[in-house]
Amino acid sequence: MNRGRMAGILLSVLALAGPALAGKPITVKGSDTMVILGQRWAEKYMNEHSGQVIMVTGGGSGTGIAALINGTTDICQASRTMTSDEKLKLRDRYQTMGTEIKVAKDGLTIYVHPDNALKALTIAQLRDIYLGTTTNWKQVGGKDATIILYGRENSSGTYGYFKEHVLENRDFSARVQTLPGTAAVVNAVSKDPNGIGYGGAAYTKGVREVGIQPDAKSAAVLPSATTVRDGSYPLSRYLFFYLRKKPEGDTRKFVEWVLSDEGQKLASDVGYFPLN
Amino acid sequence: MKRSRLAVIAALFGLAGPVLCAGTPGRAAAQSDAGAIPDTGLVTREELRGLLEGLNEQLQGVQTDTDRLKRFKFTGYIQGRYDASEASSDSVQVSGSPYTVTTPNQSRFYIRRARFKFTYDSSPWSQAVIYFDGGQDRFIRLLEAYVTLMDPWTANHDHQFTLGQFNVPFGYELERSSSLRELPERSRAETVLFPGERDLGLKLEQQWTSEVKTSLSVLNGGGINSVDFPNTDPTRNKDITARARLVQGTVDAAASYYWGHQVTPLTGPDVSTDKTRFGVDTQGYWQLPHAGGGSLKLELYTGHDVNPDSVNTLVSAPTGANPVRLLRPGADPSHLATDVFGWYAMVVQNVGDWLQAAVRYDTYDPNTTLAHDQYRRWSFGVNAFYDAYTRFTISYDAVSTQTLGAGGTTTDPHDNLWTFQLQHKW
Repeated sequence: MNRGRMAGILLSVLALAGPALAGKPITVKGSDTMVILGQRWAEKYMNEHSGQVIMVTGGGSGTGIAALINGTTDICQASRTMTSDEKLKLRDRYQTMGTEIKVAKDGLTIYVHPDNALKALTIAQLRDIYLGTTTNWKQVGGKDATIILYGRENSSGTYGYFKEHVLENRDFSARVQTLPGTAAVVNAVSKDPNGIGYGGAAYTKGVREVGIQPDAKSAAVLPSATTVRDGSYPLSRYLFFYLRKKPEGDTRKFVEWVLSDEGQKLASDVGYFPLN
Repeated sequence: MKRSRLAVIAALFGLAGPVLCAGTPGRAAAQSDAGAIPDTGLVTREELRGLLEGLNEQLQGVQTDTDRLKRFKFTGYIQGRYDASEASSDSVQVSGSPYTVTTPNQSRFYIRRARFKFTYDSSPWSQAVIYFDGGQDRFIRLLEAYVTLMDPWTANHDHQFTLGQFNVPFGYELERSSSLRELPERSRAETVLFPGERDLGLKLEQQWTSEVKTSLSVLNGGGINSVDFPNTDPTRNKDITARARLVQGTVDAAASYYWGHQVTPLTGPDVSTDKTRFGVDTQGYWQLPHAGGGSLKLELYTGHDVNPDSVNTLVSAPTGANPVRLLRPGADPSHLATDVFGWYAMVVQNVGDWLQAAVRYDTYDPNTTLAHDQYRRWSFGVNAFYDAYTRFTISYDAVSTQTLGAGGTTTDPHDNLWTFQLQHKW
């Protein structure tokens, strides 16, 4: 093989890779819980940095992580941590297990209808409700009515977090009606006097939050800036950005802005909780 | 206000009406007959409730079907390839009238792999997989078919039991999909010691912690590329493998062991020899600023196995006049098997998200007591990722094969190889 032929082959490779090497907007995909937050961050950042385009879409944390592995997003928003299997898949393609950046805090909130008089649930009671062993509000101190369960699809990070931290990784009751986003869960519960749902704290509109007790002897705690920040709210969690490698260039500037006082204040304004 | 809101809702259901009617013809006729209200364009609360319940029932049906479909996964990939071997310049000739290309032709287009896999997750505790290959030999071949049961008593199903036809759990290269590999083919040692990579048997896997995983398998031992596969278990005894892997993230390490027997069929009693392999592998990962992830991968194989050259030397070949296959006089049957040794080292570096370069050196010695029979190869490859599913690969294999010639001289055939491959994975 002569040098000319070799050069031709290399040029062909570069031509194929050309579109990928050209500059492009920052894509952000993943958690439905975080989609409003991501959009607000993007809007404000684009206002302050003309010429920079940031595209934010939801789909769920699992979908975002799959997109990160496939290379179809630059940043994945996730309301749960990546599993070791997902990290290994990422490493198989990119030789790296990715970069995890905590960007905000959230209190996974339990919603009921505003007419529901129930004030608090223990983690164990909540678990029994979603496992399907508790089926009537009367069993947890409420009215005599069947509990209607609303939840998220299994591609959701909130689903994963709830399953791990509340259900202790056991499977949800078959009676759970799965809905495509937290807004849909809130909407369903707001119209169903016997409904219960879960999701991000920022979505609590038209529904009522239920206090959570770590155990029967503890006081009930509602999600707030204080209780989520100090961890006294039992379902406090971090929200994450995942990237394939350490952020560079425009992506790095955006991530730094999200972590700045301005970005964190915006998280608070939207209904989430800042890191510090 | 309430009336206008009802009118809007009624209009919406008017749009949904045909969908509902299509599924329930009797109901559609009834609604048409009851046309007492069309003049006002309004529907009563009861009618709305009925429509809503009907819609809800339909949605439940769709949801059930969707949930069932979500348990089913169809994945696969195609590798179209063009190979140009150095040997082609000597062997491809044009002659005759009209001109024809004479064989052997070492420069060719072909389908290296065309694979499709069906996975069905029946429940959180069981999974069925069927995996076919339609590449290379022009017919569909069953590569894998197995059922896996996952334990219901641990959160992440840490114990798994598999029965069927699956990848032999030995080594890093072997368990890694060909669609992910940075170079088109595996190392020589792996392809010689595990032809076909798969076998029939059972497998127990245990995830002890997030870092430590072990697997134990019991196999027929023939492998799917064995001549008599899958009709018989060639050794009657079962082969056993064990593997332990430590995953740390930046440095992983594993050890594998294979123990079994290999039969050399003869006229009369067959000869059974030990078939053992021991392997260790390790991978280290790093990140370079402005480039991306990189890795160094090392794997070593050693063992004892039947050597085809020894069989040719020590066993008489059957002929038409004398159709028997016997050990030659004085031949020691234990010499049919020899000690083998092979290893490879590979460096991979990503350059951004869409380019990747790989260099590998691999070597294999089929008989460690004999000189001048080693296989050595340098492989260089570049992968360009066109999109999330498609990649183009160029690789060059510089092969050094020592062949013992007349008078004890060794020759290295011209068999270096250029490979151009386009892969699409879904």
